Amino acid sequence: MLRLHEDPLAREELIRSYLKRRLDRLTSEAFEAHYLSCNECFDELRTTDRILSGLTNAAVVRRERDRVVVIDFSGPAQLVRESPVARQLEGILHQGDSRVLVDLSKVSRIDSAGLGVLMTCYSHVLRNRGMLKVLRPSEDVRRLLSLTRLDGVVEAFDDETAAIQSFTN
Amino acid sequence: MQIDQNTLENIRLKLSYKVRYHLGPFCPDIDDVVQETLSRILSAARDQRIRNPESLGAFASATCTNVIHEYRRGLWREVPAELDVTRPDPSVSVMEQLEMQNLIASTLAELPERDRVLLRAFYLEEKTAEEITRDLSFTESAFRVALFRARERFRKISTGTLKSEARGTH
Repeated sequence: MLRLHEDPLAREELIRSYLKRRLDRLTSEAFEAHYLSCNECFDELRTTDRILSGLTNAAVVRRERDRVVVIDFSGPAQLVRESPVARQLEGILHQGDSRVLVDLSKVSRIDSAGLGVLMTCYSHVLRNRGMLKVLRPSEDVRRLLSLTRLDGVVEAFDDETAAIQSFTN
Repeated sequence: MQIDQNTLENIRLKLSYKVRYHLGPFCPDIDDVVQETLSRILSAARDQRIRNPESLGAFASATCTNVIHEYRRGLWREVPAELDVTRPDPSVSVMEQLEMQNLIASTLAELPERDRVLLRAFYLEEKTAEEITRDLSFTESAFRVALFRARERFRKISTGTLKSEARGTH
């Protein structure tokens, strides 16, 4: 018997385990049977689901490989006006970064604001006498780079090793 | 037993959530599975097989689990194993999913840093209450209050954001 209304923290722990699929089958079924008839618990479940998806999706991740800063997106992302990943990208570069590779493979869409953010990163790197390149842009993003003639400025690669090596050539 | 329209819509919403949880958000047949479940529930209610209204939720959940199992068995018979039947269709749903992600992420970005640290520690890093109270210098009761206030702020902002988004698109 689940006691979901007696201890809100215990309920949150149970919801967290349900969403991470860590409950055993019986407990999971008991919880589903409960939320099908309880609006309060269903509302809590949806709120937690949203919080978790916001925390897990599409963070901008920075790593270094052979003295090149590689920027990845941890999940599907859009570089568009007001998008959090665009804001994160803007702030992820460090003062002295001069070799930057942005992996765009998970970016499905870029609008003018997103392009602006990319160009801000480009200018930052240029000020450090460096270079910004992009990795695996989708066809749509490639077309946009071409339309705006940025493909002549920002070199695109399909292979990370080749892209990394290009910084030393 | 009679099931009124409001109850039916409420169950439909929750069944959609459950089916999406089990079959994945991009499964193309979510609505069909929900519909099949609802028709079985209505038929059971008509035949007086659900006597106690309080057991409606449990009945609906169990019926839905059966329909999901049947759906999976049906797919296993018809679709070669190497095909991923829940593979996202490159259609509107993917874009909607991404837009929803952006909305949720911007809601999180609007929260105070302390709320974000707390939510990340509890939900993402799955720390226990003891670990969080130790790491963030909370007493246990202060931690409980802070967690539920952070959730409440998230809920308020996200409800406002989703409503204004809906007004903007319709």
